[in-house]
Amino acid sequence: MSSETSGPFLAEPMKRLLTALLDTLIPASPDGKMPSAAEVGFEAYLHTQAHEYISALEDVLQSFDSNFSDLPPNRRHELLEHFSKDRPAEFSSLLARVYDCYYQDNRVRGEIGVVQGAPFPQGNDVAQGDLSLLDPVMENRDRYRYRSP
Amino acid sequence: MSDDVVDVLIIGAGASGAAVAWSLAETRMRVVCLEQGDWTRPSDYPTNAANWESQAHGPYHIDPNVRGLEADYPINNDDSEVIVVNFNGVGGSTILYGAHFPRLHPSDFKVKSLDGVADDWPIDYDTLEPFFEQNDQIMGVSGLAGDPMYPPKDPPLPPIAMGLVGETAARGFNALGWHWWPSDSAIISQPYDGRDRCVFLGPCLSGCAQGGKSSTDITYWPKAIRRGVELRTRCRVREVTVNDQGFADGVVYYDENGDECLQRAEIVIMACNGVGTPRILLNSKSNSFPDGLANRSGLVGKNLMFHGFGYVQGLFEERLDGHKGPQACSILSKQFYETDPSRGFVRGYNMQISRGSGPLNTAMAGYMDGSIPWGPEHHDAFRKRFDHTFAIGIVGEDLPEEHNTVTLDPKLVDSSGIPAPKITYTYSENSRKLIDHGLARGEEVMRAAGAKEVMSAGPLRPTGWHLLGTARMGDAPEKSVVNRWGRSHDVKNLFIVDGSIFVTSGGVNPASTIQACALYIADSIKKNLTNLFD
Repeated sequence: MSSETSGPFLAEPMKRLLTALLDTLIPASPDGKMPSAAEVGFEAYLHTQAHEYISALEDVLQSFDSNFSDLPPNRRHELLEHFSKDRPAEFSSLLARVYDCYYQDNRVRGEIGVVQGAPFPQGNDVAQGDLSLLDPVMENRDRYRYRSP
Repeated sequence: MSDDVVDVLIIGAGASGAAVAWSLAETRMRVVCLEQGDWTRPSDYPTNAANWESQAHGPYHIDPNVRGLEADYPINNDDSEVIVVNFNGVGGSTILYGAHFPRLHPSDFKVKSLDGVADDWPIDYDTLEPFFEQNDQIMGVSGLAGDPMYPPKDPPLPPIAMGLVGETAARGFNALGWHWWPSDSAIISQPYDGRDRCVFLGPCLSGCAQGGKSSTDITYWPKAIRRGVELRTRCRVREVTVNDQGFADGVVYYDENGDECLQRAEIVIMACNGVGTPRILLNSKSNSFPDGLANRSGLVGKNLMFHGFGYVQGLFEERLDGHKGPQACSILSKQFYETDPSRGFVRGYNMQISRGSGPLNTAMAGYMDGSIPWGPEHHDAFRKRFDHTFAIGIVGEDLPEEHNTVTLDPKLVDSSGIPAPKITYTYSENSRKLIDHGLARGEEVMRAAGAKEVMSAGPLRPTGWHLLGTARMGDAPEKSVVNRWGRSHDVKNLFIVDGSIFVTSGGVNPASTIQACALYIADSIKKNLTNLFD
């Protein structure tokens, strides 16, 4: 994730709410290998890659009480569940941004086996594959053989 | 400009326009191509960035109505069961295609004789065979010789690595005793013709930053330009004009500044594919052609064919690394390609193995279908699915029907004020049966390959890549738009070289055959130069 940012854009209460919301959408894994969505630079992501979404996000945040961040995780989950059903398009849009940011994070990518950063120019290694698997096709080639129409 | 007469004016710089330009350049005629889009820069393609998946939903989206670039024109799909997808720029839709590159089969040219449906083509596989071969060489095609489903052919490069996905699918086909073969791919598996090989970035469908995918901006066009062809970009053609003798004498177009220009020409070649070509012809009305140019048959814009498309996805216990490598190119099966009357439909389909998705698309698809929740269960569910799936695409033959059309929308226009195309299309009962059959067989393959979960869907709507049949080829002027070498029956210096001229669709991706047809028509023009307009 790029560190380029024009600085924090949310006042502290909203910032806490966003952190709680991100933590609820993708909590850290119990083994600690996968970070929470609140730990992958979502604010910087918004500034550098999704600036057009900031005002929509502010609308989403306004939908939650300021004590959301003080609630236990299961209660926060319930409230987000309600939000996702009441306002599915807005929730889906939020989730797409959170996932987009999350799966660009190099720690996350390392854990799931994806090349860090851009695919190009590094690329990937792919096994050629065992062409001897074609033997049964070749043994039965008369069954398949092209017939002139 | 109006006094400047070029020998050959090509409209469209995509798969077919590039091929015909390259071929005709050797005549030393003055060849000019007008392209409404621009050159794309590989350094702009999404795979240059870590957020390549979300970027692919922006300026490189496959749907022009979503993409909405200056070069795009809107398409009214409201009355169509399929949404048209394309790309407008040098290279055309080869910029975004999957590069799965099979040829039509010999039987595809003879469906009336073999199955009593539609019409035979006036040409056959043997006519096109040398041009398939030539096209494979110029484009750079990887594949494996010896596929028993085809007459002998020998791709210039060894096959693209089929990977764990291909091996897994192959075991499924073998368990059922069904045909499969490594795909012919317009992707170079080794350095070729000054280009470096595919490095398995994954997302071919948003442009290839590596240049391993053979789009025509990096294959034909550099060669054509070196041979002297002039390619003018950001030039949007409004209409083809005709003279008093009924010959095409040029085009009216808008240049990059939006200024209206006239380019005169001795020969006009349409290469805008199955939607763009009828759009321009229907918009080219005159006293001689009140229903649109070259449309005395009334067939311009009719008989639109896509390919019915469905897919089957399997979830596997083992990791398949599906996010790596060309999405659309691994292996294929032609087990159900030819007609078998016992199946209850005619013609058949290709089974095309597709690799898996990247992490963002996996997570969002999992959210949409409920298989990967957000919240505390997210990580486990994601790990079980990401890189553990592959898909079988069912690409089925779509037979021509006159009620499936491209017409001019009475209200919708592009940014130049040119009427937009309106698509009217419904799947036939035959197409639906064929796709249903393919989905069921695909599920069998998945289970035979060891999938622990299988799901299928289709026919799907945003799959209108293959735009065919709207200016069909034939010997009879009352039943076709162009003759057996692509020349309009009505306008003897007007040629069409794109997917519009397909008589039937076959059951495979058409790019290879479109380009072979373009090269064949260019060759016919060269052979008939002395009596071209007789």
